[in-house]
Amino acid sequence: MHNRASLILSSAVALFAAWGLVSAMSWPLKAKLFPLVVGIPLLCLAIAEIIYSLRDKSTEPPRDIPADVERHRSLVAAGWILAFFAAIVLLGFDIAVAVFVFLYLVIQGKERWIFSAIFAAATWALFYGLFDRLLHLPFPAGWLLELLGFG
Amino acid sequence: MLDAFLQGLLLVLQWKALAFMLFGVALGFWVGLLPGLGGATTLALMLPFVYTMQPAEAFAFLLGMHSVVTTTGDITSILFGVPGEATTAAIILDGHAMAKKGQAGRALGAALTASLIGALIGAAALALAIPVVRPLVLTFGSPELFMLAIVGLAFIASLSAQGARGMVRGFLAGGLGLMLAMIGQDPQAGVARYTGDSLYLSQGLDLVPVLVGLFAIPEIIELVVRGTSIAGGLPSQRVSSGALEGVKDAFRHIGLTLRCSLIGTFIGIMPGLGGSVAQWLAYGHASQSAKTPAEREGFGKGDVRGVLGPGAACNSKEGGALIPTIAFGVPGSTAMAILLGAFFLLGLVPGPDMLSQHLALTFSMVWTIVIANVVTVAVCFLLLNRLAALTTVRVSLLVPVVLVLVFVGSYTANSQYADIVVTLVFGVVGWLMVRAGWARAPLVLGLVLGKIAENYLYISVDRYAAAWLGRPVVVVLLVCAVAVIAYPAIQGWRAKRAARA
Repeated sequence: MHNRASLILSSAVALFAAWGLVSAMSWPLKAKLFPLVVGIPLLCLAIAEIIYSLRDKSTEPPRDIPADVERHRSLVAAGWILAFFAAIVLLGFDIAVAVFVFLYLVIQGKERWIFSAIFAAATWALFYGLFDRLLHLPFPAGWLLELLGFG
Repeated sequence: MLDAFLQGLLLVLQWKALAFMLFGVALGFWVGLLPGLGGATTLALMLPFVYTMQPAEAFAFLLGMHSVVTTTGDITSILFGVPGEATTAAIILDGHAMAKKGQAGRALGAALTASLIGALIGAAALALAIPVVRPLVLTFGSPELFMLAIVGLAFIASLSAQGARGMVRGFLAGGLGLMLAMIGQDPQAGVARYTGDSLYLSQGLDLVPVLVGLFAIPEIIELVVRGTSIAGGLPSQRVSSGALEGVKDAFRHIGLTLRCSLIGTFIGIMPGLGGSVAQWLAYGHASQSAKTPAEREGFGKGDVRGVLGPGAACNSKEGGALIPTIAFGVPGSTAMAILLGAFFLLGLVPGPDMLSQHLALTFSMVWTIVIANVVTVAVCFLLLNRLAALTTVRVSLLVPVVLVLVFVGSYTANSQYADIVVTLVFGVVGWLMVRAGWARAPLVLGLVLGKIAENYLYISVDRYAAAWLGRPVVVVLLVCAVAVIAYPAIQGWRAKRAARA
């Protein structure tokens, strides 16, 4: 994974640098000076790292957690993060915070319902009291609520 | 001079000014703890309230608030791996690594002590440097400031990992940061660069969502994967003990703490470089202080020197940044630009008047920085055990709360969903970087320095053509950059030779 991650990253950086250089060609000198100064060495370094990664046969030192368990848990964590983002966009921060915390505690944390409800309510109260009431930060209603006319 | 110095203290100790300062400190304390909500934003929010205040009260309030934000920002960074402030990201590398090893108390003790020392050095610099700093600032033109940015980048990139490949990765990350800094409208020709016709990207990438994604998302995934508390299931008394050890660490490495304080002050004085640069330069210097390559490998894995350096620099830069603001009306950072607004709101003009007619008021600012930091550090030490015990909270409770803070903190940068998308994208980048063994520090420094460096490079080329490369300070800084890159290689070669012998 060590080398694969490095290969993915360096390939992405190489593509980004190449795209950056090609895009910069059509700009006036003032705008393209710095992209060229940075982009050319960046592309060279990225290619060097790709070659290093492809030639490197060393393996990652063993970790405490088996690789398949680690992969599964990483995907679960990523899933929760994306689900929270989707909830924020669809329901808005006000509702998403309470719903997410409650569901995470019950499903992922295997906590009791009552405890989860109290903890979610406390987190929501902290969020609402601090960011909404005290600091007056603008949190829009979610798209779904706006669509239903509650926004 | 001494009279004005004491008068400044009396101004701050007047009950109204003191009360405003303590209120500001309390506000700054919480702002620092909350990720995303920056000290500069809060300063801007509080600016309208100073209209009715006397100048000494207004500066006690604003400076009291601003000067403690980074101190408490360090706490969030160390305990949760989420940058409490954009200026407290560097301390995560070793501070959070220490928290994960059950040394949260020691890391906090070290960070708070270094912060206090840094703040005192910054305040002393402000008090001493005002009459003599003018020639220094005037020596540094655009070419020198550009080279300073390059030295900073060389510093951090060369120290990120061992060997030739580590160096390649360090510069790769730094270069990526520089490229990312170019996203947005170019300041010289007005061309929209790498925006993909997105209105959000035309303003460039905001630092807060990038930092939160880069550091916090991989940390949350790691927490879920490990399935244990931050301190890895260590008993709470072990976590919170060691604060005194952290205090001792600051004095054990007092040379480093003082040097990093001076770095912070110096960067603070230089207009346009900003606080985010100071912490990374100090971190780079701290890792440079490692005597052997093996010792250097410990950086990023919980070396207390990686906490002391950024901790000291972050707070000392405030005193430094006030110097050009007060003396020349040239703000050293965004926060100082907002503070400059307060000067005009109160009918004061920065410049020679502040060093003669209003000298007592100027010294009252020095005293505010000192008193506010002493109060904050004392309160933090009182709460230290409770704060450190947070690292033993079980993961199922911690993850949802930290995620709420991450998303809210990221969203408040520009109040757009795109901020969260940026956080998620950089979360993936950060996770891949951790897995690939790439250092994240150079990327952040590249992003911070990119716009500044481009601006200074353009002015240098436009104003001096190639002649800027021959300016004495530029040459000295260029030699420094080369030495910084060559030093790890020489160190490695020496170690090999010693091993062979």
